Amino acid sequence: MRDVYIIGTGIHPWMGFSEQVFADFAAVAVNDALKDANLEWQKIEAIMAGIFIYGGNAGHLSGQYLESIFGETGIPVVNVYNACATGSASIRMAYNSIAAGETDTALAFGADVSPKGFLTAKSDNAVQDRDVIRWKMGGLPNPIYWALECRKRMEKYGTTEEDLALVKVLMSEYGSKNPHARFKKQYSIEEVLNSVYVCDPLRLFEICPVSTGAAALIVTADEELISKADNPVKINATTMGSAMYGDPTIRISALSCPSVPEAPMLSESYSASRQAYEKSGIGPEDIDVLELPDNSSWHYLVYLETCGFCKDGEADKMLRDGETKIGAKLAVNPSGGFSSHGEALSAQAIWQVIECTNQLRGRCGERQVEGAKVAMAQTYGLMGNSGTTIMTI
Amino acid sequence: MENMVNKVARIPNLVDWSTGEVRLMSAKCNSCGTYFFPREHYQHRPGCSREGVEDVLLAQKGKLASYTIQYYPCPAPFKTEKKITPYGIGLVEFEDEKIQITGIITDTDLKSLKIGMEMETTILDMYTNEEKQQVVTWAFKAIK
Repeated sequence: MRDVYIIGTGIHPWMGFSEQVFADFAAVAVNDALKDANLEWQKIEAIMAGIFIYGGNAGHLSGQYLESIFGETGIPVVNVYNACATGSASIRMAYNSIAAGETDTALAFGADVSPKGFLTAKSDNAVQDRDVIRWKMGGLPNPIYWALECRKRMEKYGTTEEDLALVKVLMSEYGSKNPHARFKKQYSIEEVLNSVYVCDPLRLFEICPVSTGAAALIVTADEELISKADNPVKINATTMGSAMYGDPTIRISALSCPSVPEAPMLSESYSASRQAYEKSGIGPEDIDVLELPDNSSWHYLVYLETCGFCKDGEADKMLRDGETKIGAKLAVNPSGGFSSHGEALSAQAIWQVIECTNQLRGRCGERQVEGAKVAMAQTYGLMGNSGTTIMTI
Repeated sequence: MENMVNKVARIPNLVDWSTGEVRLMSAKCNSCGTYFFPREHYQHRPGCSREGVEDVLLAQKGKLASYTIQYYPCPAPFKTEKKITPYGIGLVEFEDEKIQITGIITDTDLKSLKIGMEMETTILDMYTNEEKQQVVTWAFKAIK
């Protein structure tokens, strides 16, 4: 297997609903990535595209739509969907294609124009798609799933409403310093605690909305391109995990879960992160920057435990003691996280990897983690989808 | 039990009241012992032969394993004739079957909700359809 490096990144800043065409957002991100890598379009040997599920035929063939904008060259174009871990899948495919020697340089991208309001069912067949049942009979928008787990956590470990609010305070401080963030207002703990409940114990400012955005990554094993690149970042491992039998988490879109655990919570993310640690020889203790999927304040806490940054039930103390801040040994979500961006499904995993890359390249200005050498991006997708990428400079 | 004549579940094969009690329709794998809900949501233990899956009804009562109160109306395709927001959602544990199931909480003081409290399976009226039938979903309520 060959070493694979990130040499170019591009982001279309996150924003709310837009009437614009998703491929145009993608083109902005891809164009920036090409410029960053100082690369001609014709040097791209494969495109691994994240599917935009609300985009109909165009969204399901997002790679082809993107390719035609820059000029069709006949290279392999693969479109992939793994829910909110879609971007992880496209990065992993690009990495594997290069590491195996099939191609030298590949593009991974995702672009998403989120629907107005809530995400809802995409079919009408309740037998084959139980998502239909949760929407028609269950009354279960996504944040309810997080609230049910958050309540269990509060009962089990004593997590407080102040802990949940503190996550938002920290994320909003970092988001205010990030030009790519959609939400740049800084909040005090009182302001968060005075925001309305969406589904208690989770409040409006403690869950992330859906967003529009695009992100693109150019990876290569071409030694000439690597030597010419501005601070190339090595990918030490990029993995995907699925759920394990007996995982007690109530997964989004499911109507049931096991009551006797036989696997870790969020087992898909446990699996993805452990695969990455094993493949890279890098462990949580070595990591300087962590981008985790803070879809809600509950996720911020539980992911520190799922990925082994502390023991179960200890994340609240880490947060309260300031051990997750920029300047501490581990900086968690210096980007401001999903809390400051919102979810743009097929793009968000790539965006997380780009934030890590920017930190390692020292490009983060006011939110820069000084001396960052090792970074990890962790995703979370519904129904057992997850990806982990570990990078070094 | 209230009069269940002329009531119909919005989606079939999820909730049953033919025995005189409202119970959830599950399936059990007799090879790996796992219960599924809905019945088609197969979750076999790896290595299971997957032989002998049979339809079963869950116990009528369970315990509240978690809950939340939803303060915003659930978007379409969810619909009810009467305003139900804010509404409770419970995760109810069926101990013998080793499964927890989500459901709207009805006919219960939401302020009284507490993890571990006893709940029973019931139905919630949603709307009247073109055939003048009352369309329902499954729900849970505190045992008084």
